[in-house]
Amino acid sequence: MAATNRFDAIVIGSGISGGFAAKELTEKGLRVLMLDRGKMVEHGEGYPYDGKPAYEVPARNMMPKPLIESDYFIARYGYVSPSNQGFYNDDRLNPYAFDEGSKFYWIRPAAVGGKSLIWGRWSFRWAPEDFQANARDKIDGEWPIGYDDVAPWYSYVEKYIGVSGSRENLPYLPDSEFQPPMPMNVAEKWLKARLESKFPGRKLINTRLSNMTEDKPDQNRTKCQFRNQCGNGCSFGAYFSTQAVTLPAARATGRLTLRSDAVVTNLEYDPQRKRVTGVRLVDAKTGQAEVVNADLVFLCASAMASNQILLNSRAPGSGRSWFDTSGTLGRYVMDHIFRVSINGEIPGMQDLIEYGRRPGGVYIPRFRNIGGDEGVGFRRGYGYQGSAFRNAAGPVGFGASMKEGMRRYGPWKFGMTAFGECLPYADNRVSLHPSKVDRFGMPLMKFDVTFRDNELKMMADARAQGEAMLKGAGLMNVTSYEGEHVPGDAIHEMGGARMGRDPRRSVLNGWGQAHEASNLYVTDGAQMASVSCVNPSLTFMALTARAADHAVRTRAMA
Amino acid sequence: MIDRRTALAGVTAMFGTSLFAPIARAAGLAPAAALAPPVISEGLPSVAVFTPTQRALMTALSERVIPTTDTPGAIAAGVPAYIEKLLADWALPGDRVPIVAGLDAIEARSQQDYKVSAAKATPAQQDALLTLAMNGQIPGGAPFFEAFRQLVIAGYYTSEIGMTQEREYLPVPGEYNGAFPYSQVNKVYSA
Repeated sequence: MAATNRFDAIVIGSGISGGFAAKELTEKGLRVLMLDRGKMVEHGEGYPYDGKPAYEVPARNMMPKPLIESDYFIARYGYVSPSNQGFYNDDRLNPYAFDEGSKFYWIRPAAVGGKSLIWGRWSFRWAPEDFQANARDKIDGEWPIGYDDVAPWYSYVEKYIGVSGSRENLPYLPDSEFQPPMPMNVAEKWLKARLESKFPGRKLINTRLSNMTEDKPDQNRTKCQFRNQCGNGCSFGAYFSTQAVTLPAARATGRLTLRSDAVVTNLEYDPQRKRVTGVRLVDAKTGQAEVVNADLVFLCASAMASNQILLNSRAPGSGRSWFDTSGTLGRYVMDHIFRVSINGEIPGMQDLIEYGRRPGGVYIPRFRNIGGDEGVGFRRGYGYQGSAFRNAAGPVGFGASMKEGMRRYGPWKFGMTAFGECLPYADNRVSLHPSKVDRFGMPLMKFDVTFRDNELKMMADARAQGEAMLKGAGLMNVTSYEGEHVPGDAIHEMGGARMGRDPRRSVLNGWGQAHEASNLYVTDGAQMASVSCVNPSLTFMALTARAADHAVRTRAMA
Repeated sequence: MIDRRTALAGVTAMFGTSLFAPIARAAGLAPAAALAPPVISEGLPSVAVFTPTQRALMTALSERVIPTTDTPGAIAAGVPAYIEKLLADWALPGDRVPIVAGLDAIEARSQQDYKVSAAKATPAQQDALLTLAMNGQIPGGAPFFEAFRQLVIAGYYTSEIGMTQEREYLPVPGEYNGAFPYSQVNKVYSA
């Protein structure tokens, strides 16, 4: 297909960022082509196991081991199961150079909607402190924007998507525009009271979740029904996904064209005009390559895939991307470090259980190094995500007595996991493999990303503090666990095409706009210059909406 | 109720090997195309994991682990078929080893103690044999017991009977109550 002028903008990727870009741009009057490398998944009808109990899901919804070994050896770390297998990347068909470089789990979706169908849905604002952290710590990578630049856009997206949570007035964790929080259970309330009195300044709060507690009839969305089967796809539209939220809005304008199975390999570029002139893609079904054109391009392919596309956009014969005049492209890749968990038993309340299956749980916000270095041996901080629950009593022996015993519940238990901030390091980088290509001719991604001393010390502290807090609060049989810390494992990978004021030190400006092409915006996780310790997706949405507004305003002026 | 895919797998056996492709795909029997993600096998077990003697004993012992009481037991819940299917297609070949070895050891012990095949022993004798295995008093007994009990429990509590009769399943709870009296249900809620 030859170049056309059918579209004002092309959005690459249809996940949390891409879907939001398509919604904003079409609502502002642009004709938009949204591309996704994955297969089409329609809201509702694309969720074959929505509402199905285990006995109606293949293999009782436990991933067959041979299938994990042959095709989902990375997706296994991203919680793939038979009920959501269709949303995930097949690691055999779409590999990266996982056997070279350092160990990295690149957990990818492969469906329209991207990670919005499989995400954890915890939604937090960044704090003013997060945007200032690199500058304050004199770490390369000063943010060109601050909290006040993003705050109105947080409000804008929160009101639209629906975020449940409690107002806490914490300086380090700004409140969102909340729907009512999902309630704590009786054991979590018990823990909250004891922990907060024993450890002044530390808080245990309701989670902040994109699962709604109020209906949005104007969006045909119903509040959470407490099934906790979010990963199967939710026909109620109770949580934010492209399918439930941004795709219907974009389609309603009549200006959206959505194309699935379209694998973008690179951007075409005019170095004289300093503009992106085309988007090259390969049709995954036919293998045909083509170039599509538009004045404006939003690259939202996911943090690492956007890096891959940018790195692969280069002059013939050149190893250097058009967008890497700074030499920073592919560098400063980060993920949250999180393989520390602490568990214990909460005594009492034996006659009470949970009714309903609540997604989410409770959150202990960051308390380390707020406002400056506290001399604890590492920079930045971490928060804990957890919940209290009761499992069925375990089996004792066998036979009728075992069966009868398993009709009761075990004690209340509480478990939590720390999520810590990773610093940006220039040599934590991704690059194109020099020789290996995938089935579309795209050079494989190679990862050289490791956690360093700061992150490991932080996790040691998170483990010690977590144990101290749970023991101090009166939990019994407190145990802790520290697993292998593999970058990518938290599925919060970010960076590589960071924002910055100085084109010699960054890839994008403070609007997410490429220094080397004013008609290219990168608004997914690739743009991040640091990662805070809170879950990132809400920030991607806010930055995407802000960038779309900027792109359309500057376009109108041009 | 006959599962649709099991029924299709039965149909395909009538035709032999040259299946009309859509029927083969519907039955989950077609080899995965090289460029498509494989489909999870849901037909009959692709290999026979057990000899008839082992299968009969595995079936009998599953019912001893979760017997019929005031609710149906493991056999009614389809646990034996689940175990064989899992070991054939959803687990790795090595996972079969402790199960098969344990069944053989229990069979040998039954012949020795009761002069009868373990599958045909009385429930009390089967309970005694399982107890010996549980306590490691039969070669390979302890690893067999642990793995086998897990299989029975997993199969039972994810079955329709296990989830909806033995336990209580709320397809759409609609609300959350984090201080709900157990006495109002006297059961465990299925996940």
